[in-house]
Amino acid sequence: MTLLSYVKIWLACARYSIVRTMMFRFDFLMWALVEFGWMAVNLLLIAVIYRHTDDIAGWTKYQMLLLVGTSMLVQRFIMGFFWSNLFEMARNIRSGHFDFFLAQPGSPLFMVSTRKLDLDGIANSFVAMAVVAYAIDKLGLAPSFIDLALYALLVLCGVLINYGALLMIVSLTFWLGAAQGIEGSYFTMMEFSRLPRETFRGAANVIFVWILPAVIVSNVPARALLHGFEPHNAVWLLATTALWLGLGIAVFNRGLRRYASASS
Amino acid sequence: MSALAKYRHAFLLGLQSNIVYRWNFAIRALFSLFHLAFVFILWGAAYKGQTQIGGFDLDQTLTYFVLLLVMQFFIGAFNEDYQISEEIRNGLINQFLLKPINYYGYRFSIFIAARSVSGLLALLPIIVVLPLLKDHLVFPHEGWRLGLGLPAMVMAAFIQFTIAYCFGLLAFWFLEIQSFIILSLAVETVLGGQMFPLDLMPPWFFHLSQWLPYYYQMYFPTAIFTGRLDMSSALSGLALQAFWVVALLGIARLLWTRGLRRHTAVGG
Repeated sequence: MTLLSYVKIWLACARYSIVRTMMFRFDFLMWALVEFGWMAVNLLLIAVIYRHTDDIAGWTKYQMLLLVGTSMLVQRFIMGFFWSNLFEMARNIRSGHFDFFLAQPGSPLFMVSTRKLDLDGIANSFVAMAVVAYAIDKLGLAPSFIDLALYALLVLCGVLINYGALLMIVSLTFWLGAAQGIEGSYFTMMEFSRLPRETFRGAANVIFVWILPAVIVSNVPARALLHGFEPHNAVWLLATTALWLGLGIAVFNRGLRRYASASS
Repeated sequence: MSALAKYRHAFLLGLQSNIVYRWNFAIRALFSLFHLAFVFILWGAAYKGQTQIGGFDLDQTLTYFVLLLVMQFFIGAFNEDYQISEEIRNGLINQFLLKPINYYGYRFSIFIAARSVSGLLALLPIIVVLPLLKDHLVFPHEGWRLGLGLPAMVMAAFIQFTIAYCFGLLAFWFLEIQSFIILSLAVETVLGGQMFPLDLMPPWFFHLSQWLPYYYQMYFPTAIFTGRLDMSSALSGLALQAFWVVALLGIARLLWTRGLRRHTAVGG
């Protein structure tokens, strides 16, 4: 299949998702509100702590807001584009419905990952963008178009890293038959992405900064806006993206070979 | 069969079925250790350059969060709301309408059983990391804190469960209640003091929160035990907490009788 046909398929899926969302408008509104509520909770935490302190590991209130906004942006994109697809993949592997994706022409990974869009996540990504824009304004930063484009690129890397990590966890279902705690592990990891890198010391630094890609997905893009583009950080993020995306795809492909369907 | 014996059986049944889910609880407890790491890193960094925040030092604040975590596993509602809504949707609830058993009492017995299991399991990872934690744990020594804290904890369990129960009963009216539950969880997380100790909020907000039931879910007992409340506010708090227990029981009763009127008992 050519690239154009993939784009066409993606657009058809997007259209289907929009139609579906419009059918269940109240549901959409409620879930958008749920996500929004949780984002507000995290912003409130920052607001409360900065009532009592001026900086956390050298980050001022609005710098921290920029960081948290960036973390939210990455997470909203994951929620909007990939979350329910990957979540359902685990269920489909167990139930045998995964056959349906294998029977389709085109890459199974593409078919599995892009079937559905969650418009509530996408809607809230605009809220996250507004948080970032507000922080930029309060900090008096004046990013050029190129700065913003680089930021967007780094955020995209963050999304791909998360996607790779999630894909890897979910693909374990091929072996384990269950992927308990996907949600728990993902949201727990994302908590660390709302912290400045400088707060991690000792073992925490090794685990959350170097081994798990929890901290850099938000810190590298946010730093790029705050302190200008830092090539070594960008290279680090790109390498991490290649690693986790590669790992996710590799585990998925190995799992695919192992998949023997389920009796119906 | 005596009235109490019925609920004792429900409790024992709940104990058995929750031991089946021990791994879920264990995994959950493990994740909460990661959350604790997040809390330690964040507050540790916030305290750099100052010894006190809101009148409390770092160790007092960390103790608050550790105790809060233990409290969640002992008295917090996990998915009781979801279970109840499922029983209504599936029609499993119909059998309780025919039997001489109170549904609230039955559910509450199972809740106590579930929390006994999850509470004890949550202690395991805490004990494992205790060598790292113990230097940070500081509890006040006044005896009255235990005397007032324990009843506060028991009433907190009632409030936790009854709010979850009410949300579960919403299934009489709505097809899908999961979004209500997660949204209200966000509110509870903030107003129950799980995100940060409520006393760090602006005074007007702190006072306002004391009139809401969420304050009495987690913050109130934890704050008594960790020395964030003095005796007079603990005593007046207990009175308000008792009011909320009664009020919520009334709301639960109302939802139950109204809900049953709508209920058509299909299937079962």
